[in-house]
Amino acid sequence: MTRFFAATSALTLGIASAAVAADAPSKADVLNTYANIAEAKYDDSLIAAKTLQEAVNALIAEPSDATLNAARAAWVAARVPYQQTEVYRFGNAIVDDWEGKVNAWPLDEGLIDYVDANYGGPTDENEFAALNVIANPSFELSGETIDASEITPELLGETLHEADGIEANVATGYHAIEFLLWGQDMNGHGAGAGNRPYTDYVQGDDCTGGNCDRRAQYLNAATELLVSDLEWMAAQWAEGGEARAALSADETAGVTAILTGMGSLSYGEQAGERMRLGLMLNDPEEEHDCFSDNTHNSHYYDGLGVQNVYLGSYTRIDGTPVSGASLSDLVIASDPSLDAEMKVKLANTMQALGRLKSTAEAGFAYDQMLERGNEGGELLIMGGVDGLVDQTKTIERIVNALELDQIEFEGSDSLDNPDAVFQ
Amino acid sequence: MRFLAFALAVTLPFPALAQDRGPILTAMVDEHVLPGFAALSDATGTLTQAAQADCAATSPELRAAYHMAFDNWISVSHLRFGPSETDDRAFALAFWPDTKGFTPKALSGLIAAEDGAVETPEAFAETSIAGRGFFALEQMLYDPRFADQGSDTYRCALIQAIATDIDLNARAMDEDWESFATALTQPGGNSPYRSGDEAMQELYKALVTGLEFTGDTRLGRPMGTFDRPRPTRAEARRSDRSLRHVELSLIALRDLAAHLSADHPEIAFDLDGAFDKAITRAQALNDPTLAGVADPQGRFRVEALQQSINDIRAIASTELGPTLGISAGFNSLDGD
Repeated sequence: MTRFFAATSALTLGIASAAVAADAPSKADVLNTYANIAEAKYDDSLIAAKTLQEAVNALIAEPSDATLNAARAAWVAARVPYQQTEVYRFGNAIVDDWEGKVNAWPLDEGLIDYVDANYGGPTDENEFAALNVIANPSFELSGETIDASEITPELLGETLHEADGIEANVATGYHAIEFLLWGQDMNGHGAGAGNRPYTDYVQGDDCTGGNCDRRAQYLNAATELLVSDLEWMAAQWAEGGEARAALSADETAGVTAILTGMGSLSYGEQAGERMRLGLMLNDPEEEHDCFSDNTHNSHYYDGLGVQNVYLGSYTRIDGTPVSGASLSDLVIASDPSLDAEMKVKLANTMQALGRLKSTAEAGFAYDQMLERGNEGGELLIMGGVDGLVDQTKTIERIVNALELDQIEFEGSDSLDNPDAVFQ
Repeated sequence: MRFLAFALAVTLPFPALAQDRGPILTAMVDEHVLPGFAALSDATGTLTQAAQADCAATSPELRAAYHMAFDNWISVSHLRFGPSETDDRAFALAFWPDTKGFTPKALSGLIAAEDGAVETPEAFAETSIAGRGFFALEQMLYDPRFADQGSDTYRCALIQAIATDIDLNARAMDEDWESFATALTQPGGNSPYRSGDEAMQELYKALVTGLEFTGDTRLGRPMGTFDRPRPTRAEARRSDRSLRHVELSLIALRDLAAHLSADHPEIAFDLDGAFDKAITRAQALNDPTLAGVADPQGRFRVEALQQSINDIRAIASTELGPTLGISAGFNSLDGD
């Protein structure tokens, strides 16, 4: 009896869920899930950044191999949720206006600290490429003398970041912190990441690299800024937050924002700027996390973010699931085969990015893959690029199928107002 | 009456559901795309011959062939799909903007190491795109810093290798277009385009991306901000080609726009008028390297030119796209 009953209810449930799937969810519900996932991801990023801050404080208080390695591990962990938020860029103006503070890349790291002699000095594009603020308590910027005797979050965020209007002058965010924890990767296309010694943070006679007090100040200020920037963004996605409100103001524009983020991140940003360009340039520094050699993870979690936004299902860093009505459900209601196509392509991309990640973790670093003539590396990277390009095609088809034609693309920073992308 | 209703039922859905894109696609391919790539491969053939005959950076024949080939590339450079994307050909022909100075770095690297990659086209094709193509050749021919770097023999071999590589890429694109033309004009089946709409979208995207690149990148990069203009960021300024690229691209895009709007005379008229204004402004500018961005008077004129390009973009996105029923989709400029 029990067995029979269970079988019947499974059957009934199956039918019920199939029937539900055929009904389109409301756009409001889809947007609500999208915003809930954003809130969870930014909140996870904040939690992980606070853990990083504790590890950084421990490193500064007691510099050692152990505290340095713990800080590096905390940085790598902090990237996992953050990279999954990148799919919220391009479609949400509030994220685009803010993102440069936390994840600007690529950077002329000579702005921040000492670099190898081969790095060169100021370039045609950037006079401040080798400023080295850690070694210079005072310098000239656009005709003004800057007092940098105290390295504060304000100095980094308001004066030094994007100094002289140059985007490569990255003074804040994950990659500035990454440089301070790892240092330059001097291995070229060989194995190994940056190898900054913990003694760069030792105060007194054993200090290496000079100005250890100012370096510690810098690291402390940059981490504090990262935490406060993430705090701000998480609040924008909480109930009543501005990012959430902007989405519900126009539901069609909101759905367009989801697809704009998915497509622009997949195509122009990740497949183009971050993956294919580096490969074509064969430059070991043309990788997203070039100091830590963590690029394979950055790519993987970017891709995962696109997938979980489409499916409307994210697993938080403490294991809590966040899910609800999804864009996928919306597509099923209008064209089930298109939804199937999207799911297959997203899965293909994740398989390709997973291959890249597992191979890198097995010891074949991303900068080795970028080497001229390295066929295996090229195949791995191009596998990811091809998957991302291919999924963009289907994202475009979804835009058409949901009749989100371009008039409704207003409000999308990267499609309707390409100027914004260049700022 | 019944007959009429039946006839309506059969005929009505066609304009509503699927416009026949065939004739426009065929005309675009036959009149806009194929002649452009044929002219390019002719010009790059002349370029590689000129480099073989005289590889001196100052050779008038070589420089003339460089200009001719570069002109022909700019006239098809907005067609960034299919054969241009295969094997990174378009990137290898023209790597710009070069925001981190990869081109001089790649060239210095090759010269300092006397890199043997210049000996065979296959090996050279494996090297960084930054040291290949028209922008690398421009620096070898016009930048004083490369005039005496390394040995004469190596510089000569490098110039010849770059010219040969350009020619091979141009030829490969021209050859591939023979079969790709069918994919574009006969979508469905094995074509990457599922429908005529998708094929039209590709060409519409080429128009809007081309306009975006010319307005925001070719003009916008040297303009910088009012307080901080960046004249050294002008495209191909070493060989005085910055403004020329703006003009050539507008002329090519005008032709593409005319094809796309062929069935809609009013939009075609608006677009053509807007292009005419922009091209006239470009021709009147008389500032080959766009150096004028550095003074208020010159900057004002470049801004006016940029505005006239934005006007074309507005017509394309608010009139042409919606009328054709296609959206711009995603392009490579979408990242940051």
